[in-house]
Amino acid sequence: MRLSSFWRAESDARNVLFFLPAAILLGLVVVYPILRTTILSLFHLKLATQFQAEFAGPENFVRLLFDSRFHNSLKVTGLFTAVSVALEFGIGLLLALAANALVHGKGLVRTVLLVPWTLPTAIIAVLWTWIFNDQYGVLNALLMKTGITTEAIPWLAGPHTAMAAIIMADVWKTVPFVFPVLLAGLQNVPRELHEAIEMDGGGAWAKFKYVTWPHLLPFVFISIIFRIIQAFAIFDLVYVMTGGGPGGGTETVSLYSYQTYMRYLDFGYGSTLVVATVLILALTAFVLHTFLHRRYERQF
Amino acid sequence: MSATAFLALLLISLAGPSSVQDEFLTVLMEPDGTGVWRDLVFRFNREHPGPAVHLIEGPPATNTREDMYTTSFLSGGASYDIVYCDVIWIPKFVAAGWLLDLSDLISEQDRADYLPVELRAGSYQGRLYRMPAFTDAGVLYYRKDLVAHPPETFDELMQIALRLKTNDRWGLLWQGKQYEGLITVYLEVLWGHGGEWIDDESRKVLLGSPEAIRALEFLKATIGTVSPPAVTTYIEEDTRSIFQNGRAVFLRNWPYVWTLIQRRGGPMKDQISVVPMVHAPRHSSAATLGGWGFAISKFCPNPQRAWQFVQFLTRPEQLRAVQQRQGRIPSRRNLIPAEFLSILDSARMRPRIPEYAQASDILQRWLSAALTGQVTPEEALREAARETQLLLAS
Repeated sequence: MRLSSFWRAESDARNVLFFLPAAILLGLVVVYPILRTTILSLFHLKLATQFQAEFAGPENFVRLLFDSRFHNSLKVTGLFTAVSVALEFGIGLLLALAANALVHGKGLVRTVLLVPWTLPTAIIAVLWTWIFNDQYGVLNALLMKTGITTEAIPWLAGPHTAMAAIIMADVWKTVPFVFPVLLAGLQNVPRELHEAIEMDGGGAWAKFKYVTWPHLLPFVFISIIFRIIQAFAIFDLVYVMTGGGPGGGTETVSLYSYQTYMRYLDFGYGSTLVVATVLILALTAFVLHTFLHRRYERQF
Repeated sequence: MSATAFLALLLISLAGPSSVQDEFLTVLMEPDGTGVWRDLVFRFNREHPGPAVHLIEGPPATNTREDMYTTSFLSGGASYDIVYCDVIWIPKFVAAGWLLDLSDLISEQDRADYLPVELRAGSYQGRLYRMPAFTDAGVLYYRKDLVAHPPETFDELMQIALRLKTNDRWGLLWQGKQYEGLITVYLEVLWGHGGEWIDDESRKVLLGSPEAIRALEFLKATIGTVSPPAVTTYIEEDTRSIFQNGRAVFLRNWPYVWTLIQRRGGPMKDQISVVPMVHAPRHSSAATLGGWGFAISKFCPNPQRAWQFVQFLTRPEQLRAVQQRQGRIPSRRNLIPAEFLSILDSARMRPRIPEYAQASDILQRWLSAALTGQVTPEEALREAARETQLLLAS
């Protein structure tokens, strides 16, 4: 076979060759770290072992079962993920519906709403820390001026208010991610179907329920799954705003794994934390996928 | 891009840095707000021919710089040749084998000139790994226009703070956020009650004592009474700005506050004085030792040059230059202001164990949980003691 016809023919060998560079790159930066982390989770490798790997079997995972700090961080991460993703989805959907109804200025609205998403999270975290400051923060000033409270609330001082503060900052930052995804979905909804429902005498709710929502489902799935994965790995906001405090009340799993790796130099157990987190996340994604996908299939 | 070209690029990028790095050395420092480090590094390079030293300004959070060093050491590369080293990093960095032994390099004259506690703090198992540069110790500032006789005991401090507190002036400020600063504050109160955290030698955890509980109860009792409810979110600069605006009677902080207030003048200049931290009756005051010095990375390709640089920076004239512009207090005895000499001289070290970072995090979390009312002080210290004992036994 001549070389030029090799490139043109639909052959398996050619396709594999095209795929190879990407596969090598992915192998280096994705597959290798995953394998190494998984293997490390079965070893003791830390300062106390002079950074020599000693086979541990399931010991690290047993430790995980009885590690109250891990349980607490899992609870914190779960709560953060559930509340922030729910709020972001709700607000994002309302905004997308409103923006989709606009005749003029849709592009402008989309651009303006995107701004928080483009800012670096660490900087946003510092800004929100100032907003929540008890002495000179603008939030307390507003609450007191409008008479909602009489005394300044030390937002970051209590575990619940600190969690609320972090969620608020996260919602502000990530609604702009959910919003355009859902807006794109809305723009895909065929107008004829809406008109058909109008002819049948259906109202706005019927339109949403029977036409908009089913068409939106794939976009809902994408935005929610992305947000859950991102929220579950939340690090920078917490690291800057509270450092996991007070009393570990906002310490997320990724913060704990980071500390175990970087500050305690315990790579074996740090890997175990990461592997456990990934497994939990994969399970969540799987359940969500099956659930949403079935509904989607049933609709059509 | 073809696969070959891509692979070639990849190989070049993997092989790149080593050949370049031998030609100069790097030192990672704090952000150089005053420009004094830039000036000193420039002078060193001009006056001492040889491979140049490059100054890298790191982030202000010391934890983050610790992590940057750790990442660089773990990769085995010499990203940073000279380490601007916090006193609490020594056991970990040395146990990991990342620092050069400087014991035989330091001169007898220097040994005699530095505060003994600083030399001990820079050593691990009898060998010196860090040249001291600047010393810190916790002190108590007070408004001498309001307080005629500064308090000596915790009870006196509480009474005076309560009496002088007004609607827009707090009684006492300290650092209560869940971070290393909270440990330094708690230790001063704990030591002032005659308690201890961890015994270095036996690796026993001593947090179960009544003194430990009393110390934590004292801190907790200040919140909302003489200290703002949000004191559990404050770090050094939060408390300094409130104090410097005249909105507090007492402040626990480090010596730099003194230098800043003296230098900037203003109305506060003549209204502030400084004393050692208070203590319980029949016990004595204690200050937590902090401080900075210079160490050399084991991966440094040119340790002679690095040592030349460290010697240059720790000479009295250089330390004095930093003192004048930054407010830090040098570790050399005859450069220390009279107000601080005895406090610094008797400052105490935090536990000197390789697992320090983890032990500190455990205590930070439980102290913070107790201070924010999630658990009682007894529960917090019992749990902290249990977790720490587990850590040190494993």
